[in-house]
Amino acid sequence: MVNLTIDGRAIQAKPGSTILEVAKENGIFIPFLCYHPALKPIGSCRICVVDVKPGPPRPIPACATTVTEGMEVVTDTPRLAALRQELMKLVLINHALECPICDKGGECELQNMTHALGVSTVDLEAVKLPPNPDYVSQMVERHPDRCVTCGRCVRVCRDRVGAMAINFTLRGYFTELASGAQPLDCEFCGSCIDICPVGALINKQFKYRARAWDMVKTEIACPFCGGGCTYQVHTKDGKILRVVNEDSVLLCGRGRFGWPVVEADDRLKTPLIKENGNFREASWDEALDLVAAKLTETVEAGGAKAVYGVGSPRATNEANYVFQKFFREGLATNQLDNPGRYNYARAIKAMAEVFGTPKLEGLEIGSALVPPYHSPLVVKEAATGSGFPFVLGKLADLPKADLVLVVGTDVTPESPPLGWGLMEAKDNPNFRLVMANSRKTKFDRYAHLSVRYKPGSERVLIAGLIKFFLADNPDWVPAIKAAGLDEFKDSIKITPKEITTKTGVEEATLKELAALLAQAKAPAIVFGSEVMSQDKGQQTALALADLFLLVGQPDAPGSALYPVAEKNNSRGVSEVGVLPDMGPGYMPVEGTDAGPTLEEMLDLLEHDDAAAPKALYLLGGDLLRSLPHRSRTKKLLKKVPFIVVQDAFLTDTAKLADVVLPVAVHAEQEGTFISSTGQLGLINQALPTNGVRPDWQIISQLGTKMGFALKSVSPKAIFKELAKKMPLWAGLAPKLSAPCPEIKAMVSGKFVPFEVDISLPGRRPYTLIIGKSLQHSGSFTTHHPGGTLAVTGEAFLKINPEDAQSLELAPGEVVKVISSYGEIAAPVKLTADVPAGVVFLPEHFAAPAANNLTLNSNLVRVTIQKG
Amino acid sequence: MIIPLLKGLATTLKMAFSKPITLQYPEEKREVSQRWRGHPELTINDDGGRRCVACTLCMVVCPSNAIKAIVADEAEDHGKYPVAFTIDLQRCIFCGFCQEACPKGAIKLNRLYELAQYDKKLLILDIEGATQSKSQLRLGDWL
Repeated sequence: MVNLTIDGRAIQAKPGSTILEVAKENGIFIPFLCYHPALKPIGSCRICVVDVKPGPPRPIPACATTVTEGMEVVTDTPRLAALRQELMKLVLINHALECPICDKGGECELQNMTHALGVSTVDLEAVKLPPNPDYVSQMVERHPDRCVTCGRCVRVCRDRVGAMAINFTLRGYFTELASGAQPLDCEFCGSCIDICPVGALINKQFKYRARAWDMVKTEIACPFCGGGCTYQVHTKDGKILRVVNEDSVLLCGRGRFGWPVVEADDRLKTPLIKENGNFREASWDEALDLVAAKLTETVEAGGAKAVYGVGSPRATNEANYVFQKFFREGLATNQLDNPGRYNYARAIKAMAEVFGTPKLEGLEIGSALVPPYHSPLVVKEAATGSGFPFVLGKLADLPKADLVLVVGTDVTPESPPLGWGLMEAKDNPNFRLVMANSRKTKFDRYAHLSVRYKPGSERVLIAGLIKFFLADNPDWVPAIKAAGLDEFKDSIKITPKEITTKTGVEEATLKELAALLAQAKAPAIVFGSEVMSQDKGQQTALALADLFLLVGQPDAPGSALYPVAEKNNSRGVSEVGVLPDMGPGYMPVEGTDAGPTLEEMLDLLEHDDAAAPKALYLLGGDLLRSLPHRSRTKKLLKKVPFIVVQDAFLTDTAKLADVVLPVAVHAEQEGTFISSTGQLGLINQALPTNGVRPDWQIISQLGTKMGFALKSVSPKAIFKELAKKMPLWAGLAPKLSAPCPEIKAMVSGKFVPFEVDISLPGRRPYTLIIGKSLQHSGSFTTHHPGGTLAVTGEAFLKINPEDAQSLELAPGEVVKVISSYGEIAAPVKLTADVPAGVVFLPEHFAAPAANNLTLNSNLVRVTIQKG
Repeated sequence: MIIPLLKGLATTLKMAFSKPITLQYPEEKREVSQRWRGHPELTINDDGGRRCVACTLCMVVCPSNAIKAIVADEAEDHGKYPVAFTIDLQRCIFCGFCQEACPKGAIKLNRLYELAQYDKKLLILDIEGATQSKSQLRLGDWL
């Protein structure tokens, strides 16, 4: 610790912190304008100047000066006050006096600072500059005449988001906020809006809708991707007006602008019952009675196993827990699964094979009362844990990794927080980023090594990598206690020539990557749904788990596996036990047989097996939209005599249902999510439900009607009950990540050989990759009037310009995309981001529905024909 | 004893022939001071448009919650203007804080004082009712 005095007060500070940080921590006021805790200081506004002894005879900026031993800081003298006032006047010379209409009025740092510094008049004059406002860009409106050139937006965009969409033009007094062109060409994350101390950048959704002091703030976990951000929703009169992340400012576009989904025109408001092929509106009691009667009837006719449930990666942990309780305790079956079976659950299975299922010891139920949403399990001093959750990374640790290997994911669209983590990691000069993907993604611009492999060849790539790695480091001993390395080594039979032909990656590139992995002190592996959604996604995840077992350094913070969970609660739905073979906390089911997986259940339906379900209970999850091979899914679901769907919208799957129960979404409910990186996110209810009901309540009421005592009275009570059964969540509380760092991780693993067969069936010339687009999260964000729908309103087929030339396609032209399983029409976008022979289509939209083309994977061979 | 009586009669006599200080109200109206605090109203520009930019400062400062429901919208020139504005004269205490807080001189207390109504609803002014140009006509239904 460093000892210093500020205004005569003796203070101890962490070495490396700046005077401003230390003063803020100790409640000493130093005014500032260009400083922001999320950014590196640049000391440009000079308003934070302080006198420092020993030091130069002039004041120095507190934000950019680190504390040293024996430093004496004086923050307030008449000279400093005069300097600050003068600087403030310079900022205010021609500042547009639009406070009455400026959305920032009331929360404007310039207003506050002007008051704090007592600047009442500006006696300086300068030439007036043209206002040059930008009204044409989406989402963001720019007013350069209100800009104080603090550079926060430029820095957050460049250093934290990595979009580099805004910059300054001109110099000195004429410096102006610009982007080179109007409209803005950016990711539309809106982080610049909230970091702007004034109203130079404002939120178009929020413009003129309320004043800063009018709104009620409620903190919720973001319900879009698995990133696990928390933000405040600002509501007025029961309506959301904006969302703001007051902690780190950073949010992605769908997080910040996607909330209008709550007010979507096509939200369901009452339960629907299908009669003679048409839906009619019904009361809750009527609908629930019908469902209860039908399910009871089905159980009586075909046994409890005739009912099958599909949980939801969007619903809260509490809802999913009650859902599995409904099946396990109510019906006493394991006939349930979640749609993560087609992506995230594959990674779980693979990791569990290599690292084992979680086992924790040394926990006890605490005697003290715990606050709501805190785990009642207390971690004792000698607590230990093993199993795959202990090799899963935490978000805060990612920047501590010194090598990140990103395989098969476009990081920012899939999980923006991981992208911010990579941007932060980049601050470390020793950090190395390796991007392995079939197409060029955003982070390739920061990559030290880009590996461009043929779609679907990940396993060969990793096999090759492991082969070269072991060839270069024959005496390598994995840092993790690992069994079966020798057998595993022998199981990789692929030759270097095969590797190059199958993956299209040069041997030298792989050797370079192997060398980087061998040098790394804290390597992390990030992989996403483009890997997991393939039919052999589990094998690829297995290969990556093996690779991590080989090179991972679990004692080094940041060295971990980061599988990207697609949706807000993809990880939670599995953790609370919506799996056919594992209960809450990945505990293997005892006493009863494991049920069929979602895939197996569909196969049973296909074969008209006697064990095929006679009734389906779908908790959200638009299976038609999200599962591959849409026509097959549709055909199979039509075979089920009775389907209940709980969803906020009349989705394509819901249209096949017999009863549809409308649910609360976003801030209309209370509950928790587990993010992709294990963080517990808490949603507090901020909005009225307007007649719809939260998922947990519907299941619980249905249970009561069917005579099951689910004893679920509130999300808080459900969490308490649930958390008792979750050793993995010991010590967990909102904003903390599981597993608790106090638990000593005893990670060990065994190498499991994986398949390297990578054939993609068919002879069609192009390989279509179906993936994520930046502004959307599943189909959740595609309902009008969706916020980000304005930015990305339709799906484009991304195609290489060379391919487009050979097919004589113009940008925007609608083409026919034909696979052996279906056909769709989509407009094309020419981009060199996809290599020749590869095309890319986002999965989110109802039209073109990309899964019309697929069989069992997100990859498919297609033919492209002119419209 | 008679003298005070006579003094009184003298005063009466004097007043009987001087200009009366009472008014034949309501036929005659009292001219009030320029600084009279009547009820708040929205002022207009020369072109007839309201000066208000819906900053809501008057609503914030109003001690009796007489000003409410200010809803703003975006004009074609991207400016801000109110589409709804309610002044509840039942609640107004004529303190003039709104006038003081307004950065645009858009709300002022006028010099009207005949505010009694049989129907309370007439005292809740919507944006049109609260706007200056029409304020003269507003109380025609008085008694």
